[in-house]
Amino acid sequence: MIGFSIAMQSKILILCLAFLGLATELYGQDQVFYNRDIRPILSENCFQCHGFDANTREAGLRLDTYAGATAELESGEGRAIVPGESASSTLLERVTSEESWAHMPPLSTGKSLTKSQVTLLRDWIEQGAAYEEHWSFVTPVRPVLPKVQQTAWPKNWIDLFVLRKIEQAGFAPSAAADKRTLIRRVALDLTGLPPTPAELSAYVGDESELAYAKMVDRYLDSPAYGEHMAKHWLDLARYADSSGYQYDKQRSMWVWRDWVIHAYNQNMPFDQFTLEQLAGDLLPNATDQQVLATGFNRNHPITIEGGVIDEEYRTEYVIDRLNTTATVWMGLTVGCARCHDHKFDPISQQEFYQLSAFFNQVAERGLNGFEPMQQIASPFAEPLDARAVAELEAVTRQLATLQRPLSEPEINQWAAGIAADDLQGWQILNPIRWASSGESTFARQPDKSILVGSANPAKDDYEITFETEAKEITAVRLECLTDPSLPGGGPGRHLNSNFVLSEFELEAISKVDASQRRQIKFKSAVADYSQANYEIAKTIDGQWEKNNGWAVDGPSRKKPATAIFIAETPVGFVGGTVLKFKLRHQADFGTHGIGRPRISVTQDEETRIVDQNLPASVHAAAQLLPQSRSVAQKQLLRETLQGLRATEIAQLKKKGQQLSPAKQYPKTMVMRDLAKPRATHVLERGQYDLKGDTVSPGVPAVLNPMSPQMPRNRLGLASWLMDSQHPLTSRVAVNRYWQRLFGTGLVKSIEDFGTQGEWPSHPDLLDTLAIEFVESGWDVKAMLRVMLNSATYRQSSHVTPAWLERDPENRLLARAARLRLDAEQIRDQALAVSGLITQKVGGPSVFPYQPKGLWLELNNRPGLSSEYVVGTGESLYRRSVYTFWKRTVLSPMLKTMDAPSREFCTVQRSRTNTPLQALLLLQAPQFIEAARHLAVRMVQQGGANPQKGITFGFELATSRVPTAREIEVLVSFYQDRKDWFEKEPQAIRSMLGTEATVSAESVDRAALAAFTAVGRLLLNLDETINRG
Amino acid sequence: MNPWEQTALLENRRQFFGRTSAGIGSLALASLMNPRLFGKPATGSMNELGLPHFAPKAKRVIYLLQSGAPSQMELWDYKPTLKKLHGTSLPESVRQGQRLTGMTAGQSTFPIVNPPFAFQQHGKSGTWISELLPHTAKVVDELCVVKSMYTEAINHDPAITFFQSGNQQPGRPSIGSWFSYGLGSENSDLPAFVVLLSKNTFYQAQPIYSRLWGSAFLPSNHQGVKFRSQGDPVLYLNDPAGTDRKGRRKLLDALSEMNQIRQQEVGDPEIQTRIAAYEMAYRMQTSVPDLADLSNEPDSTFKLYGEDARIPGTHAANCLLARRLAERGVRFIQLFHRGWDHHSNLAKHIPVLAKETDQGTAGLIMDLKQRGLLDDTLVIWGGEFGRTVYSQGGIGNYGRDHHPRCFTVFFAGGGFKPGFSYGKTDDFCYNIVENPVHVHDFHATILHAMGVDHKRLTYRFQGRDYRLTDVHGKVVHDILV
Repeated sequence: MIGFSIAMQSKILILCLAFLGLATELYGQDQVFYNRDIRPILSENCFQCHGFDANTREAGLRLDTYAGATAELESGEGRAIVPGESASSTLLERVTSEESWAHMPPLSTGKSLTKSQVTLLRDWIEQGAAYEEHWSFVTPVRPVLPKVQQTAWPKNWIDLFVLRKIEQAGFAPSAAADKRTLIRRVALDLTGLPPTPAELSAYVGDESELAYAKMVDRYLDSPAYGEHMAKHWLDLARYADSSGYQYDKQRSMWVWRDWVIHAYNQNMPFDQFTLEQLAGDLLPNATDQQVLATGFNRNHPITIEGGVIDEEYRTEYVIDRLNTTATVWMGLTVGCARCHDHKFDPISQQEFYQLSAFFNQVAERGLNGFEPMQQIASPFAEPLDARAVAELEAVTRQLATLQRPLSEPEINQWAAGIAADDLQGWQILNPIRWASSGESTFARQPDKSILVGSANPAKDDYEITFETEAKEITAVRLECLTDPSLPGGGPGRHLNSNFVLSEFELEAISKVDASQRRQIKFKSAVADYSQANYEIAKTIDGQWEKNNGWAVDGPSRKKPATAIFIAETPVGFVGGTVLKFKLRHQADFGTHGIGRPRISVTQDEETRIVDQNLPASVHAAAQLLPQSRSVAQKQLLRETLQGLRATEIAQLKKKGQQLSPAKQYPKTMVMRDLAKPRATHVLERGQYDLKGDTVSPGVPAVLNPMSPQMPRNRLGLASWLMDSQHPLTSRVAVNRYWQRLFGTGLVKSIEDFGTQGEWPSHPDLLDTLAIEFVESGWDVKAMLRVMLNSATYRQSSHVTPAWLERDPENRLLARAARLRLDAEQIRDQALAVSGLITQKVGGPSVFPYQPKGLWLELNNRPGLSSEYVVGTGESLYRRSVYTFWKRTVLSPMLKTMDAPSREFCTVQRSRTNTPLQALLLLQAPQFIEAARHLAVRMVQQGGANPQKGITFGFELATSRVPTAREIEVLVSFYQDRKDWFEKEPQAIRSMLGTEATVSAESVDRAALAAFTAVGRLLLNLDETINRG
Repeated sequence: MNPWEQTALLENRRQFFGRTSAGIGSLALASLMNPRLFGKPATGSMNELGLPHFAPKAKRVIYLLQSGAPSQMELWDYKPTLKKLHGTSLPESVRQGQRLTGMTAGQSTFPIVNPPFAFQQHGKSGTWISELLPHTAKVVDELCVVKSMYTEAINHDPAITFFQSGNQQPGRPSIGSWFSYGLGSENSDLPAFVVLLSKNTFYQAQPIYSRLWGSAFLPSNHQGVKFRSQGDPVLYLNDPAGTDRKGRRKLLDALSEMNQIRQQEVGDPEIQTRIAAYEMAYRMQTSVPDLADLSNEPDSTFKLYGEDARIPGTHAANCLLARRLAERGVRFIQLFHRGWDHHSNLAKHIPVLAKETDQGTAGLIMDLKQRGLLDDTLVIWGGEFGRTVYSQGGIGNYGRDHHPRCFTVFFAGGGFKPGFSYGKTDDFCYNIVENPVHVHDFHATILHAMGVDHKRLTYRFQGRDYRLTDVHGKVVHDILV
């Protein structure tokens, strides 16, 4: 009887008991299997010319199917394979031939089969040359649980599979790791942070049988779990804070990054996690958060390089989405079929483009292709502050009032106001002088407007002067009229009929005494029409950089537009006033001047000004007594008031929106499909401009079919991936989780499950994990929990030379993996151990220490480049998942420790070991600072006695108590440094820095400096930067 | 052995083990445990990747990359015919509807501009060269000038990425990282691939990106190491304030001892590599400043490279550093000089860029020659594409747009034919009429000079054996000795 200690695994326990003793071996010792033994040989050596791709097939021979391999050869030399008769099989003859002309593969490839490979081929042919479908393309079927001898060892079913293989190899599993090693391993694997002293002592002190399982659960529930898991996902999703190409501009995808962290912390099931990221926008009644999730497929680099051909880059984005999605969910390298049929996997070029059709529907461009974007709140959005809440409530109340149906008395009361007719109305002014800052000519028209013509400078400021006797001018009206002489007969001078009025300025000068002059301030402005993002208010905000101004959708609208500017205090001097207007046109688009401006003024009170724009018919109706109005007139008044209210309601709604949490966030990129589908073509040689046949969305024939009920869009594709019959999705996912915990995937090539991929070390274990994952409802934490609770995971990672020789790569899993921590973990650990860390979840990316000049030395074009500005305060101590990820110049902290630039989907990081890493960890300011703070902790919490302080620090860094020998080495180093510092007071000051990490009186400063030196050493221990 | 290589060895071996089902032999294991047993591959003999494939002509490369794309017409490709054609529009029969960048695609005419700079023949070889490169003119007999380079890319990012990695889109290892991976380093104190950046002075310069010396899917220890002209020459090279050299040694000794103790306990061979990496870092703290310290260079050096060479971050100073790196056996040295992207006012800007680079380049070649290093050091000069014969906009203050169909690069030393010109363009300097050399051919030929068959230096990633030349490229034997 196997002892299962974990109550939570009851379902699995029953399963185990049911199958115990029924185990059979799937594979005998002598039988040769196509998938395991033969396909890798043929794939490596033969398929390039004798495989799936018909275009490059040589001599008409294909070896990837039974029919092809056993057919008569075109050359008449017999058959490549004669099942059961290796001696008659030409294949064997050719791969063993010593004649250069006959040798296969051709000598030019430099490839040749080994003796053992030839033996395998011969045995396989003798045994009948049975072909099998590639294992990963077949839906997994639950394997039976294997029987083991050492029944006391397994803790759950994972261990049965592992132990069976260990026993077959004549090995034994390693002893369990000690508790301190285990908690550090679990903490780092699940949260990316080492255990705190409190967590450590709680676990070490807990002698109950469930202590381990409880400890695992505690880390699974930590908010740091989501941050750590997200880090892996961000590599896959090629998430970054900059756009990648050329000038590598900043983007704001961090809101999406927050979504990922949140989803992990909520333990969102993997199928939902998938559906929302691939097609959240297409879900029925999609929430903002579901739309935010689709940022996954907008994370690819986007170019801003002026000269590029739009379609070329748009095509790259579509293909990036497909390649990333196929790699992440299916472990397939479909990209190989972009230019021709896949050489190794049964995916045709046609099928590649059918898959790409799902991603080809985004309403986007190649150049500056950032849209579609949307403003959505981070799932970690802070609740609104009290003032915003009050404002929002006021807006809501006002809206409720305005949205009530209009009553007769209300209308009558309003009409009576208009009827009072004490309005002066607008007085059109006659221009007397005008000038263009460019070479434009101005022609005064009979209607007192000015028609602008001839030269069309990129930027043009109009100065137009009027005289008036009016005093107490309350507002100014600018009409932008159309004219047939203007481009497209619209209101603007640009070819597209638009204008951008950057700024509207007025200076009033006394006619009597020119020294009396004043620049008029406008307190508000309204317009009858404004283009999105070009509101009229932008003409009186004193800014005209970056295209800030008012525009009117000239290209589509081509209609006149009117704006009214209300003065802060009335304008007008006794004895007459010269009004000097300046209409600035400074937009970078160029030639966006107003075509035919006309100016009027009014002396009416501000609240009534808007009434003046009402048609005469409304005024007429208002003049009548209510009972004298016709039905039509009553209707007119009602509609007019409704119209005015609609404007007010719209403004209030906008205000309400701005107060809403989403408005506190930048726009982030999301997926949104075109209303009318875009045709997708096969692209010859993969080139954007060599369009072949049109294809419709579809999935590769070799995989499970897509249900006819599914829509042929991303939502259908995502559902297909999550179909329980899909042979790849679940296997690929569990294999990645495995790889993170055990160092190597069960399928070592975690990025390639195709025929060139590696054969799984434990196929039945992989399939059982995959099936369990699906049946659990894609429960990620449950999956990790099973793995973490296995005896396999809990083994020691220690290894002997003899053992290394037998199993250098640990494919038997008879020990745990010893892994160097990832870049983020190494920095986060230093922050945690020193106590500097800020554990705030979510928010904009931050800028920790970085040497000067790294950004500008690669990119220093004014306007398109910026210097890296090191952050301040707690932002310097945020976890590294929040470090600003600039693709073209990655933070040296991350890059040196092998983090990827994320210009493309990265499944597996390198783990290298270089001198640059030594320089970083010993010398970078972040680590020096951490060492100082670690020193303070050692002294204050461990004790000023060197042995005590050092033991405390060592335990912080490694979770382990140092041995006597280790203490000796460290104390002797400490003593040596302390002696030196005592002679070098200047060095003490430098080592301790200027910050008051600890008050000078409480500790001997030379001792503190020596502790800092020890701190540096501790942060550099191989043991510290590895997890054992 | 250099820890960069040690890691490489471990990586290679991991790859190797991954492909074989059997365990590894005891010999291989012994090397795994102690990579030093493999030792440095002796010249001409093969390393564990089976490289070099054949006897190399060049042992190292210095690649002076001129980012932004220098105009071939103003510098190298003399076209007396342009004088007559000046101001006329490029005939459609020449352009043949070929694609243009978004910057000139909308132009209604394409007015040809004759470069306003004089050309003369130089050296025994009689190579034509512009008055803008008076120093380079003195070393023409060492140069192998290829006037028939071409590419498909028409914009900077894809074009320079193509030259650096054999692919227009990001995601492939850089040329230097291939050499680091394939051939390793000849120096135990310096990395195999070093990058030097000129300080840029042109206000409209194109940016560059660290992927240009990245390793993509190759193990990341093969990425180029940037030697900087400001701050620490290598990031974090210098000890923090409050330490001394003796203390640094003590720290390292104590650290090493602690790591040794741990290794005895856990048996992880990677710990030995880490100890070695820390030792090399320690040595680099001396070897790098020593390298960057020009105080022992005689005045004659600065006569050769120009006075600019005294100012860190200039092209000339980096050329001098490149020579010092080459002397120390660094495998691949790449210098990036930005600012050649002259869409307008070309006649005003190009003399500035030529002056910034000319003497350093010539000085480097002469210096290598004098030291006997030119025979086995390959120097390469070139940009990412060429420039159009016609002006972008009107011909007053003319500029030239990007032109992928022909441009000039040169090679010197390393087994390339000296005093030799190769390839020919038409009278419009628009199309190649003789001996086209594609970017893939360029790569294949450089690899060949270094003793590498470009088809056989591969790396398995995502089921595919990748190589620098993708599935293309042919060695241009005509330009090799």
